[in-house]
Amino acid sequence: MQHTVVDRIEKIAEDTVALHLRGTSGPLAPWEPGAHIDLALPNWLTRQYSLCGDPADRDSYRVAVRHERLSRGGSEYVHRFLRRGRALDVSLPRNHFPLVPAPGYLFLAGGIGITALLPMLRAPAAAGVPASLVYVGRSAGAMPFAEELRASYGERVRIVATREEGRPDLAALAAESAPGTLVYCCGPDAMLAAAEAAFPAERLRAERFRPAHRTFGPDTEFEAVCARSARTVRVAADDSLLDALAHAGYPLPSGCREGVCGSCALTVLDGEPDHRDDIGAPEGRMYACVSRARSARLVLDL
Amino acid sequence: MIQTAARPRRLSPADVRARLGEPEEMIKAKIQDRIDAHFHRFIAHSPFLTMATADAAGRADCSPRGDYPGFVKVLDAHTLAIPDRPGNKIADSFRNLAENDGIGLVFLIPGLPEMLRVNGSAYPTDDADVLARMRTEAREPELALVVDVAEAYFHCGRALLRSRLWDPASQALADEIPSAGEMVAAQSGLDIAPDDINDALQEAYRKLY
Repeated sequence: MQHTVVDRIEKIAEDTVALHLRGTSGPLAPWEPGAHIDLALPNWLTRQYSLCGDPADRDSYRVAVRHERLSRGGSEYVHRFLRRGRALDVSLPRNHFPLVPAPGYLFLAGGIGITALLPMLRAPAAAGVPASLVYVGRSAGAMPFAEELRASYGERVRIVATREEGRPDLAALAAESAPGTLVYCCGPDAMLAAAEAAFPAERLRAERFRPAHRTFGPDTEFEAVCARSARTVRVAADDSLLDALAHAGYPLPSGCREGVCGSCALTVLDGEPDHRDDIGAPEGRMYACVSRARSARLVLDL
Repeated sequence: MIQTAARPRRLSPADVRARLGEPEEMIKAKIQDRIDAHFHRFIAHSPFLTMATADAAGRADCSPRGDYPGFVKVLDAHTLAIPDRPGNKIADSFRNLAENDGIGLVFLIPGLPEMLRVNGSAYPTDDADVLARMRTEAREPELALVVDVAEAYFHCGRALLRSRLWDPASQALADEIPSAGEMVAAQSGLDIAPDDINDALQEAYRKLY
């Protein structure tokens, strides 16, 4: 955890505010574009937001929060009740969406998904690597950072207000893009689905800010063997691995508890996990809040 | 128990009013017919409330509801929604509301002596948008109560202050109460080990959603 204070709350678009969080216990942890932090809100909810400020700024973080129509209490809290001067604890930055070297980049942002991509444009632009952004939103007024992007990156940025222009043709974008171009997409489900249809999987990197609607096999009981402590924990069909481990005396950090934030990552030594997260667990890792087991037992590095 | 000689005498409403005097104008004026920004903020920080309902014959019931602060959603200035989390499935409140839609709520915020009272009428719903706002740990409640607000007002903090409810030292009172298992085992008259009941409760408390 890092201690911060809310320095400024700034309305940056319809339904969207930027929070400027100043570190109050020394310099804030460094981060790379694509990273997010957990915000521990005063109403006990933890929410994940992409860092969208300047990575070189070690004094403060910037995140942008859209007021969700069906807020469960996170974005509503930030918009209606959070006040300047309030102390907030934030996690260390985590990055499931790193910018990897490529001969060129195409960034696809949908709505508030721009926050994850905004800091990614700077490095390729500075290095002269081809990079362009297609930023899609309902209307110009509902799209944060549009001016900032236009001013900094000019022609590299295409802003599409769907209310006037409809949705962009991703298949056409795919046909135009140079081979080897990596596509980074962050936006709502419909946009991610369209990107998955238009671009080959090996060229597409996607980040969701909400769990995808998917169905899984029935939840079944399995065993978690904690290798370092030589103990076996039974995970009942109606229990999660995260909760069963906590109950057995292995409390893991947790944030969203729905397979999006990645704070409950575990190292798997043996057995076959049933990955149900939306992060895309790397080989040998799993997220204990939602993921279960295909094999009767999993061996964990605990 | 100490036996009293006779049942305590019953006062008429006029007797009661004579003893208490008339409420001050300021107190009457504080009753609002809507959830304004202050009440909204209060509800957004309240993790606990009590809910009073009664059946058609007026037989009353009061039950607690609790979750993270703001678990009660303010749908608009005249409407609240309260999630129905897994409980004892007795559903007294729902049964009462089906006969008599009147409801009285008292919201508490730990540390704060003042309470918020909301009275109105209520009905159950499974509205998808309402339940979506209540999803916790990837689970939505099966039902929610929609409360149409008739009146809302702050209740002064004297009861909370006299009760020392938020004083950490008050928690020593809990040490004087036998465990739930001991009480239930004794009350049921059955041959159940209190610790079995306590274990079962601990197991049930693990799954709060």
